[in-house]
Amino acid sequence: MGLKDNKVDTERKRRYFVSRRVDRIFLELYKVYAFHVRFFKEVFVPPYELKEVVRQCYEVGVRSLPLISLTGFIIGIVFTNQSRPSLSEFGATSWLPSLVSIAIVRALAPLVTAIIAAGRVGSAIGAELGSMRVTEQIDAMEVSATNPFNFLVVTRVLATTLMVPALMIYTVFVSLMGAYLNVNQNELTSFTTYMTQVFEAITFLDIFSSIIKTFIFGFTIGMVGCYKGYYSSKGTEGVGKAANSSVVTAMFLVFIEELLSLQIINLFRAM
Amino acid sequence: MNSAENKRSIMVGIFVLIAIVIFVIGILTLGGQQKKFIESITVSTVFSDVEGLKVGNNVWFSGVKIGTVKDIRLHGESQVQVLMNLEQSAQQYIRQNSKARISSESLIGNKIIEIFGGTPATGQVQDGDVLASEANLNTDDIMKTLQENNKNLSNITSNFSVISDKLVRGEGTVGTLLNDSTLAKDFKSMVASLETTSQNAARASRDLSRFTSKLNTKGSLADNLLTDTTVFSSLESSMAELEKATQSATQMAQNLEQASSKFNNENNAVGVLLNDPDFAGQLQRTMQNLETSSEKLDANMEALQSNFLLRGYFRKKDKEQREAAEEAQEKQPEQEQQQPVQQPVKEEK
Repeated sequence: MGLKDNKVDTERKRRYFVSRRVDRIFLELYKVYAFHVRFFKEVFVPPYELKEVVRQCYEVGVRSLPLISLTGFIIGIVFTNQSRPSLSEFGATSWLPSLVSIAIVRALAPLVTAIIAAGRVGSAIGAELGSMRVTEQIDAMEVSATNPFNFLVVTRVLATTLMVPALMIYTVFVSLMGAYLNVNQNELTSFTTYMTQVFEAITFLDIFSSIIKTFIFGFTIGMVGCYKGYYSSKGTEGVGKAANSSVVTAMFLVFIEELLSLQIINLFRAM
Repeated sequence: MNSAENKRSIMVGIFVLIAIVIFVIGILTLGGQQKKFIESITVSTVFSDVEGLKVGNNVWFSGVKIGTVKDIRLHGESQVQVLMNLEQSAQQYIRQNSKARISSESLIGNKIIEIFGGTPATGQVQDGDVLASEANLNTDDIMKTLQENNKNLSNITSNFSVISDKLVRGEGTVGTLLNDSTLAKDFKSMVASLETTSQNAARASRDLSRFTSKLNTKGSLADNLLTDTTVFSSLESSMAELEKATQSATQMAQNLEQASSKFNNENNAVGVLLNDPDFAGQLQRTMQNLETSSEKLDANMEALQSNFLLRGYFRKKDKEQREAAEEAQEKQPEQEQQQPVQQPVKEEK
């Protein structure tokens, strides 16, 4: 009996490099790495699927605009309203435009845009590619000599990478308008004074760092959605899983990237 | 390209264009606000302590933002050199002897550099100039002063504690005042007297007010004295004349004094006349002799008028006197007749 157990253990050690779970993590990491490498290879190689890129841009950007605008407007109002009590304790409610503009430009607008894009676009991409994988459409494309990666992944990732920054600019604008509505109602601040204070508080570094951040967020959302959908498991359950995990992973990665970018930007700010 | 694709492309184009427009407007507004796209000059100053000033903080002149802090670097021995970008349009208002100091936008606001002072005699500041700096009162200094004040306050309150303790025990003049009932009664009566006095004073002040209002009445002597410059100049000249008269009177009194002092001496004629009794007796006798002599001379003259040698002379003299009197009587009516004739002639003219 003991001899038999030892034999099984040895076989297991041969089959897995460390253990089944750890090996799977490393394999997953390799697949992610290979997926990225393939993306950067395919993106510069013709044929360029411009029509599909435009279609995806429309889906990601234009179709998300109403949701993003509404959310941004509400966030501007709510954030201003919630910040007022803290500032009024110091009698510094006149600083609300500065506070709101810093918060919106530096953090709120990129994060909110990325989260909404991850929720709306990331899940859609995951589900779409997952169902194509399940229904073997991707395999059919491969068989018919069409490059499914170029047509499905590159176009979607490009669309999210380009459209999320644009959506962020809209969010900043709409949030600031929402904040102005609240500030104007409570402090009777004029639009000129409000805008002067808004732009007095922010710098070029704030704007450009937010733009760069949202490019990264958009790329992440696109890549996660495509990866999860492209490699979804067989069956209808796999589609749901792909959609769900693409949202969760994209959001998680967005927050991690936000944290890292904050540290890097602070380094620039201190220089 | 079908119409749906076309429409989608246009929508994406509009979407991206609007985003780019918003972005560009934002960048331009921010640049305009932070004076990034305007011509500027660089001026530096050296502080011993910049109190947390940062690159990008504002530079103010007379309360107006005219630039930003470009760079902050350590300099010399524990000093800090601050480079500032100043708008070229503000250059003409900043003088070479203007000074810079670290200040704050508000009580809890950002640090700023405030440029102040400068005289027009010195030229306007140039690119690369170094402005003199002035140390500002920082929070630590304020806290030190406050701490000293706290100590003083503590001493004062402890002293007051001792004083109040003595007051309660009735020690000292004030303590006795507070605790002695007799003194309190005296004080009460004193206050009553004071009240009466104050009433009198009020009445007096009312009278005084009335009096002064009368003084201010237009045309009164006092008003003229105070307001009329002609009266004042007349008074001034009168005073000058009076002064001259006083001086003359003084001179006269001195002369009189000198003269009277000479009267007391016997070395002059008047003095002898006034002071020498022998001379007075002689003078009296001389006068008596003169009187007797004049009486006798009068008698002699009467006798001479009766003398035949001189009688003709006296008769001739009487005759001349009579003729002169008659002639005078004749001339008087003629003059009275001539006067009424002359008056109408004057009226005609």
